[in-house]
Amino acid sequence: MSYYISGCMTGKNDQTLVAIEDSIMQKGRPVTAGSKILSGFTSPLDATVISRLEAGGYAVSGKTKMREFGLLPLCEEACEASGAVRAVADGAVSFALCNDFSGVTRREAAENGICYIHPTYGCVSRYGLIPSACSMDQIGIVCRDIVEGFGLLSVIAGNDEKDGAMYPDKSYVYEPLDKKIKAFVPENVLTAAIPEDKAAVLALSSHFDGVSTELAYFDVLNKAQYILSCAEISANLSRYDGVKFGFRADRYNNLDGLYVNTRTQGFGLDAKLALIMGSMVLSKEYYTPCYEKALKLRRVIKDSLDFKSYDVILLPLRITGGAYESSAVHALAALAGLPCVSFSYNGGGVQILAAPKNENALLTVVKAVTR
Amino acid sequence: MDIKEYEAMSKIDLPESERALISEKAGMLKESFLSLASVGTNGVEALVTVLDIQNVLRPDISVKPFSRKELLENAPASHDGYFEAPKTLD
Repeated sequence: MSYYISGCMTGKNDQTLVAIEDSIMQKGRPVTAGSKILSGFTSPLDATVISRLEAGGYAVSGKTKMREFGLLPLCEEACEASGAVRAVADGAVSFALCNDFSGVTRREAAENGICYIHPTYGCVSRYGLIPSACSMDQIGIVCRDIVEGFGLLSVIAGNDEKDGAMYPDKSYVYEPLDKKIKAFVPENVLTAAIPEDKAAVLALSSHFDGVSTELAYFDVLNKAQYILSCAEISANLSRYDGVKFGFRADRYNNLDGLYVNTRTQGFGLDAKLALIMGSMVLSKEYYTPCYEKALKLRRVIKDSLDFKSYDVILLPLRITGGAYESSAVHALAALAGLPCVSFSYNGGGVQILAAPKNENALLTVVKAVTR
Repeated sequence: MDIKEYEAMSKIDLPESERALISEKAGMLKESFLSLASVGTNGVEALVTVLDIQNVLRPDISVKPFSRKELLENAPASHDGYFEAPKTLD
């Protein structure tokens, strides 16, 4: 079973191996973001996370397979978990880095008995990451142990002048808080959860003082996220034209034919759906009722969170419904830029969210329930 | 849902088999998006990004850019140091 798009490398001596998703650039190596449109493209640079891994004494093992641009699978259901999740779950590597703006990796990690750390938006540099949905893109860590994962996060996190959307902090120290954690367990989300995840969240919440009420705007989270991500993805994918890099169609009659044939043959179904929906929500007819509406909802969703009343939000990882409907449970972290950890607990999948830059509350919860 | 207009905007031309699937998904998504009209957001300012972005200028120190050779190495076709594309004027 191969996790990698090409042969994997081994570290020197006792270096810890870290796999990187095929959306992260490593100089001189192919990078495709899981898409034919980038076939033949070789990275001209190292992503900042690669430089920081190497400076921290870690070795990159290889580029792992991924869904095209990390998109939500609405047209093409994946038959197996991503290479990053499988490589860590099988023990081939200790960690893997990937961009999980859609939340699918978070769920797959817990389903495979391992963990995922989604850092606060703006704490880890995205320089050298192939962009998908820029306002939500964030490199996170697949790991077997969350405490060890935070150790790696302290290596890669910190301001980078090459990424224009970052907090100014040069570095971060992750350590448990010396306080009693208060957890918000949204009743309406639990009602929608699959039974195993509902039981897991309730078991986890029994360790903490709780706030039990409804999560506002839960029924619109997936809609707002999908509108915004399609708009951003369609803009980002406009650079793939078959002229400057990547795949070019064999046959075309003129420049427009080159663009159309290259993009039609180079993108997969979910990328094409994202392009169509992105073009629609940014069009004159639908800009106000869809795109601008989603941007306004993003503000009210973010403002509705009251981290003065609780430290963390406990959520299931899976709710009933198809891929689109169930993405509602992953959208909050992406829309509000929150840090999040996910793992399996008591036979179900759970995720814990905290206020921006309060990863230490997540670490406190994890240490409390796993000691 | 008729998606040909958006195909043209996206510079793609779907084969019929893909068009049927994608137009079905697009119709479902469009209906879902338009249901947001019932959620009140009057007077709310749009939030493009969760960070308070400030314009930051880097120090005015020259850095080594990618060379022409490095940039052209990834091009599907190049000629005499330029990207090669079909001619647009006769």
